[in-house]
Amino acid sequence: MKRFLAPMGLLALGLAGYLALGQYTLPEGPGKDLVLAKCQACHDIGFVARERLSRERWDAILTEMVSRGLQITPEERAAILDYLALYLGLQPPPAPPPVQAQAKTGAQVYASCAGCHGPQGEGNPPTFPPLKGHVEKLLRVEGGRNYLLLAVLYGVQGPIKVEGQEYSGIMPGFTWLSDEELALVLNHLLTWGAPQGVRPYTPAEVKAAREKPLGPEEVLKARQGLKLP
Amino acid sequence: MGKVNRRTTLKLMGLGAAFLAVGGRGLAQQAPTADQLVRGKDRRLLVLSQRPIVLETPYELLAANAERTPKEILYIRNNVDLPGYNTVEGANLEGWKVQVGGLVDKPFTFEAKELLSLPQQEVTMVLQCSGNGRTLYQPRPSGNPWKRGGVGNVTFRGVRLRDLLAAKGAKLLDKAFHITAHASRQGNAPEFVRSVPIHALENALLALSMNGEPLPAVHGGPVRLVFPGYFGVNHVKWVEKIEFTEGENTTTEQMPRYRVPAIPNTQLPFLPQEPGKTYPYSFQNSRPNWLVTLNSFIFAPLEGQTVRGPYVRVEGVAFNDGIAPIVSVELSTNGGRSWHRAELERTEKTFGWVRWRGTVYLRPGEHEVMARAWDAAGRSQPLDGNVAWNERGYEYSGVMRVRFTVS
Repeated sequence: MKRFLAPMGLLALGLAGYLALGQYTLPEGPGKDLVLAKCQACHDIGFVARERLSRERWDAILTEMVSRGLQITPEERAAILDYLALYLGLQPPPAPPPVQAQAKTGAQVYASCAGCHGPQGEGNPPTFPPLKGHVEKLLRVEGGRNYLLLAVLYGVQGPIKVEGQEYSGIMPGFTWLSDEELALVLNHLLTWGAPQGVRPYTPAEVKAAREKPLGPEEVLKARQGLKLP
Repeated sequence: MGKVNRRTTLKLMGLGAAFLAVGGRGLAQQAPTADQLVRGKDRRLLVLSQRPIVLETPYELLAANAERTPKEILYIRNNVDLPGYNTVEGANLEGWKVQVGGLVDKPFTFEAKELLSLPQQEVTMVLQCSGNGRTLYQPRPSGNPWKRGGVGNVTFRGVRLRDLLAAKGAKLLDKAFHITAHASRQGNAPEFVRSVPIHALENALLALSMNGEPLPAVHGGPVRLVFPGYFGVNHVKWVEKIEFTEGENTTTEQMPRYRVPAIPNTQLPFLPQEPGKTYPYSFQNSRPNWLVTLNSFIFAPLEGQTVRGPYVRVEGVAFNDGIAPIVSVELSTNGGRSWHRAELERTEKTFGWVRWRGTVYLRPGEHEVMARAWDAAGRSQPLDGNVAWNERGYEYSGVMRVRFTVS
């Protein structure tokens, strides 16, 4: 039995390593959500997370991205630069801040969505569809409630039509958010208007949805199955 | 870890298979392989970015196909992902229109399928991302972490741009100093525009096929405007508009992206930038990644291999911008103190890579071999590639070194 344990341990270690390295994530720190919100619309986040650059070179990259069409306010730019220079800089990043005792609110989690869908869910055509109003319509149709959960969790890819306007951007999945955070942000969407009798989302539901991972194209198929007006 | 007998190995393999069967979807979700991202690509390609798609050819695969790089393993550096184009199958020619305008006396629009009725030309050329070799710079520049696999040798076939102009009876005006090509923006794709000097018109090809097959959609099919001798970024994929312009285009892909620092009106071979610093790029103090820099690669022996001695065959390829022939490749096994010539496959001008091989005599033990190419214009490669450090890590051409063991 002992002889068997060593290779087993190695296998487990290897698998853990594979899982840890297989997915790039940004280190925890103030500004992380903003970086995710701004960069993910065009890049997968590994593109950013693997860099280790000096502050001035991060600054030069931000300038370049602005010239490519990134829209940020000076305050956001400063916050993003601080985060990148500190956590993805040439020095090893500081220890992550202690986990906040107070719970997050749905509005706080929504910061990850606001970059594309707007602070009030107003959308940004022709790339990012509105959420306010449209979410309510989704919830009215059969299967719409589940689709919304899948879209937030796994992303959507492919052409869709929202309020008569065509969209063909790519919505990234948010699998790295916790079940609680996902439920919070989904319920935050409900506060902008939901049909009578819609159940709030629960972390358990999110957990259940994680059991069967889907690709963003498959989520699109789920959307096409809905009887949207 | 002691002995792992056959039974244990089998158990482990079973366990591994079980994990893959159960977790396969979950794991795939984490890190998709190249074949999942682009239909028809070899799954061994390295995924540098999923969005936009960037795939690197593992060096041993590149070396194993020293004659020509098949579409299954050819690297991808896309700045734009057109929806539905992530496949190595050809794209539909039907209905694809290209505008030709700017400084020509008779602007016109043609349909891609018209090209099939014009005389076809073929060119074998090196296709290389200007960021290839980026990770060899110190400190590491930003961008996709290319090792050496952002390169391939492919054969394009299509119609020469100047033959098309002649067929349409269109003539360039006096101030047409640049060719500016625009990629398709279908599906809200971001703008992608590149300019090259008019001199590139001499060999410019509207390519419809690659390696004898329809041009893969992911590599720019149905029509890609290629400029033999130029870096990959200039060969605009899914070309939709070609303009003849006086100046370089001013969009991001031309400025500040894909440029290296340069001192105006000098011909200094190395770049005036201090490693680790930023540079205030302008049209005056920098130049675009245009002509391919002279370079050579060692395909055998591979890094870390054990080969039989004492006679060791060293082989590889060398290439440049095709303006002057490659005249020699030299090998050194003593860190550059002395060199001897390898044998070249051919010494005429070519846009493709030239294969070379040489034999060195080595005692058993660890060794390092270096290869350095020269062309008829007197150009060669720096022993220390870092002299060309630039913040985006373009145009690496330092002498390649390979460590291996002789048994």
